[in-house]
Amino acid sequence: MNRLKRYLPVAVRVALGGIFIYAALPKIADPVSFAGTVASYQILPYFWSYFIAAVLPFLELICGVLLLSGYRVRAGALIVAAMNALFMVALASLIVRGLDIDCGCFGGSKTSPWLALARDVVFLAMAGAVLRFEAKRNPSPAATT
Amino acid sequence: MSKSTLASIIEISLIVLAAVALGGIWNRTLLADAWRGAPTSQSSPAQAGEVLPMPVGLAQVKEMLDGGQAVVVDARSTASFREEHIAGARPLPLEEAKQRTEKSRLLDDVPKDAVVIAYCNGFSCHDSTELAKLLIAAGYGSVYVFEGGLPEWRDAGYPVSKGER
Repeated sequence: MNRLKRYLPVAVRVALGGIFIYAALPKIADPVSFAGTVASYQILPYFWSYFIAAVLPFLELICGVLLLSGYRVRAGALIVAAMNALFMVALASLIVRGLDIDCGCFGGSKTSPWLALARDVVFLAMAGAVLRFEAKRNPSPAATT
Repeated sequence: MSKSTLASIIEISLIVLAAVALGGIWNRTLLADAWRGAPTSQSSPAQAGEVLPMPVGLAQVKEMLDGGQAVVVDARSTASFREEHIAGARPLPLEEAKQRTEKSRLLDDVPKDAVVIAYCNGFSCHDSTELAKLLIAAGYGSVYVFEGGLPEWRDAGYPVSKGER
């Protein structure tokens, strides 16, 4: 039990970091096709699809590396949580509009919006857990009030 | 505002800025081209890695096809083409196009300065973009991708046909 308590926070943090690095790499390698995926959400105008496709993978990569390395975990986890919340809004909008496209989450084979949404719930929970562990590890004066 | 909250806000801003800077530098050619709304210039394919075909909308496809100003090619499989395709389109399955070693043979009877529009099964399908890239590589100057593809065309009530042609 003690072991679990000691290693679970690290495991969740490293897993979440790894997932985000894994998600970022194919998009960095092929920004054009990721831009196509962003465009297929039909949310952003032309240029901004490319802009997001250019920047988002790097944000994922940086946060992934931060989580993995344990450096500035709070900031990394907060951004990951925010990204996930955004992804979920975008996916929900796909479902509402009845668009059946690839979520573009990891590149590769097609994933339905529902499955992607469910997966994002898990990732969001993981980010939340990382934040909680982090708050416990070095409680800030504000958190104790 | 507590010190740690402030620190987090600063850290988050720095991380986001770093991502914008990295992403912007890494994809500078792509972004510059997208900003101009143009396809990546052919003179610098090594930098961008790829040449981008331009997207074209439903109304323009209809207009150009009706006016005989463009050749519309179907990137889907031969079987799908036989089942249903945009009336007046010609089949050029991506798989087949990839296998042709002599890229100039992609569209034998179409001059290189013709406007070519590729399509497949709509936004979720990237075959048309892939095919368009092959066509650009083969020397076609005006290659477009009709991203809405067959579904958007069909939904608009425009003519479709069956069979070989």
